[in-house]
Amino acid sequence: MTAYIIRRVLATIPVMAIVAFFVFSLLYLAPGDPAAVIAGDQATPQDVERIRESLGLDRPFVVRFGSWLWDIIHGDLGVSIFTNLPVTTMIAQRIEPTLSLMILTLILAISIAVPMGVLAAWKQGTWIDRAVMGFAVLGFSVPVFVVGYLLAYVFALELDWLPVQGYTALKNGFFPWLENLVLPAIALGGVYIALIARITRATMLEVLSQDYIRTARAKGAGQRSILFVHALKNAAVPIVTVIGIGIALLIGGAVVTESVFAIPGLGRLTVDAILRRDYPVIQGVVLLFSFIYVLVNLAIDLLYTLFDPRIRY
Amino acid sequence: MNRRTLLQAGAGFGASLLLPPLAAPALSQGAAARTLRFVPQANLANFDPIWGTQYVVRNAAILVWDTLYGFDDTLTPRRQMVESEETSSDGLTWTFRLRPGLKWHDGTPVRAQDCVASLARWSSRDSMGLMLKAIQKELVAVDDRTFRWVLSKPYPKMLMALGKNSTPMAFMMPERIARTDPFQQINEYVGSGPMRFVRNEWVPGAKAVFERFADYQPRQEPGNWLAGGKRMLVDRIEWTIMPDPATASAALQNGEVDWWENPITDLVPQLRRNRNVRVDIADPLGNIGAFRMNYLTAPFNNLKARQAVMAALNQEDYMRALVGDDNNLWKKLGGFFTPGTPLYTEQGGDVLRRGPQMDLAKRLLAESGYKGEPVPCIVAQDQPITKAQGDVTADLLKRIGFNVDFVATDWGTVGQRRAMKNPVGQGGWSMFHTWHAGADTINPAVYIAIRGNGERAWFGWPDVPPVESAIAEWFDAPNLEAEKTAIGKLNAAAVENVLYVPTGFFLTYQAWRANVSGIVKGPFPVPWGVSKA
Repeated sequence: MTAYIIRRVLATIPVMAIVAFFVFSLLYLAPGDPAAVIAGDQATPQDVERIRESLGLDRPFVVRFGSWLWDIIHGDLGVSIFTNLPVTTMIAQRIEPTLSLMILTLILAISIAVPMGVLAAWKQGTWIDRAVMGFAVLGFSVPVFVVGYLLAYVFALELDWLPVQGYTALKNGFFPWLENLVLPAIALGGVYIALIARITRATMLEVLSQDYIRTARAKGAGQRSILFVHALKNAAVPIVTVIGIGIALLIGGAVVTESVFAIPGLGRLTVDAILRRDYPVIQGVVLLFSFIYVLVNLAIDLLYTLFDPRIRY
Repeated sequence: MNRRTLLQAGAGFGASLLLPPLAAPALSQGAAARTLRFVPQANLANFDPIWGTQYVVRNAAILVWDTLYGFDDTLTPRRQMVESEETSSDGLTWTFRLRPGLKWHDGTPVRAQDCVASLARWSSRDSMGLMLKAIQKELVAVDDRTFRWVLSKPYPKMLMALGKNSTPMAFMMPERIARTDPFQQINEYVGSGPMRFVRNEWVPGAKAVFERFADYQPRQEPGNWLAGGKRMLVDRIEWTIMPDPATASAALQNGEVDWWENPITDLVPQLRRNRNVRVDIADPLGNIGAFRMNYLTAPFNNLKARQAVMAALNQEDYMRALVGDDNNLWKKLGGFFTPGTPLYTEQGGDVLRRGPQMDLAKRLLAESGYKGEPVPCIVAQDQPITKAQGDVTADLLKRIGFNVDFVATDWGTVGQRRAMKNPVGQGGWSMFHTWHAGADTINPAVYIAIRGNGERAWFGWPDVPPVESAIAEWFDAPNLEAEKTAIGKLNAAAVENVLYVPTGFFLTYQAWRANVSGIVKGPFPVPWGVSKA
């Protein structure tokens, strides 16, 4: 197992190298000029050129890529063109809100979606099953920002139960922290809940039709035991796989959610950096997300061994 | 007790049974009343007002850095850091004496040497500063409170240059900071203004915090834009950047923020219905919508093609697209300068106000020899002002008979592409849209977009010698009447040659909570004199 983990971790290096090359190349080829954005509308073309030179943006691709790669290897993600702050500092400022939102959404989604899916499978063909699946369709269909606006309007503006926007760091209190994240987590979690609920239902239906379930019933096992001990555990592997794949959905959805609820997270940082052509920040954040996703996949693979003892590395 | 408090109490009670007491923020009512929560127009990504000339940087910078002079609401430069000034009889030597007791936020005194270094940095980037630098013989500190600027020819508009609010403003910084290369960012944000920048709370793109500087010495006169006493009535200002206008609107209505710089017009009716929110015009100097044609490439290298577009123009279409049905927010413009300001003129501008003359436009286009070449019109979709204008223009050009190549892109790409002088078909362009703040169109000195000096002009590179002659005449004008004469000629020449096309004059709103008082109209948010109940 340890050797497997080490092999997987080492395998991230070529993956990250490929990601680094692609993201750098795409940004280099993309239109837009950060020097023009920096200089502003009142600047002359000569000013813009001077700024471009001062930022090193006039250097050849190979020189810029080599310099950036060398810094990455030494753990330096570079300095933001606009803020003059190290990219690592900017990421550190923004990572807590995004991780908080993602983790809370994950917990919310799993704790709602898995029981929903189990319930739908157990009550297959009934109005409960149809209601759960109808909700899932809504979750897929309604965009995150629409859900966000509706939640903010009802629960913040009309009922004044929760704030419209913002983020309170956990160190400033658990309930203020939670208060700011409830609506965003629900908005972001909609698609995720829909996805997990449907997969859970589908795999549960398949498992519930197996012979060993009939044997368990024949032996007198209760319904709860059948569903959550015998069936769910066997259905867990595909569910966990989808949860892992869905992390990518969360990352993408966080961008929209953070904008709607004015949460100062990595999603907004990325969008702002893209609009300004703040190349070091874009590159740094994309690398970070790629690395996180690789680790998440590793974690998912390791989780399989918990649910299915036949899986060993 | 509102429902949120009740829910919190209930949740807290329930949690307290299960969990040990957890820390919660406790902002007392008194502290809340001394904190002003502001939503700015854009992202404050950097904080060097000389290096980055965006308006949002300027608006934050006026809190932290002071200027030698400042415009009041009559656009007259008034003394701010300066106690007195003297000009030699030949107009070549300016001597400035600073007010006593001025301090930097680090406690050190403001010295003349700091001002010398600051002016050197500023004059390397600003258009008026560059003019001064070109005629500068000496800029030197005489003693700790006095410095002298010696020129090789008179510059009557010196005080305007030092006090103007168009970017980059002549902010004063400590010498060690001002010595930073003007094309590199500063790393310290120490000023002598009424607020200190709280750097350790700055999250670029999300939040910026300013705290009152206890040792600030405001002038005795009442505050008036950048002139007079800048008396802060709050201890802390928190800028919260909110990219989504619907969120900002909801936050203002919910009392989570106090002042919103730039609500979009669509949301104003909803804000007006909330009895806890006030709405009014933000900046009486407003904005001028614009689109610029490329003088270097066909078809707009031909005067008749440009005149065809201007003949078909209907400013009302553009303004309705920008501000909707609110007639308080726009008016037609027969010229290129800011309405309501001393130099505004409509000389030669009848064609702009007359309304569309489609037959004339089509005839002019035919006379230009236009053969149906594509006309790339680059339109930023992420800026509501340019997007709205671009949609109107695309329709206008098609109706005249142009073959429009509508390039929908983002502002960053527009910034890059408009700098390219390539022919159309090789990455070039024919037209782009923009707008100019009224504070930047009050006179030719601050109005980079009005120049007609060809390759050295702003994007589009208009080559209009009569405009340049009129600008030179304005700079040398000995009095206001002479200035107006020069501007009249400039306006007529700019219209006749279609230097660019002004699409109309429009205003924007600002909104604030009813418990906030002292908010005034201005070309930037004026925070002094603002208080909360």
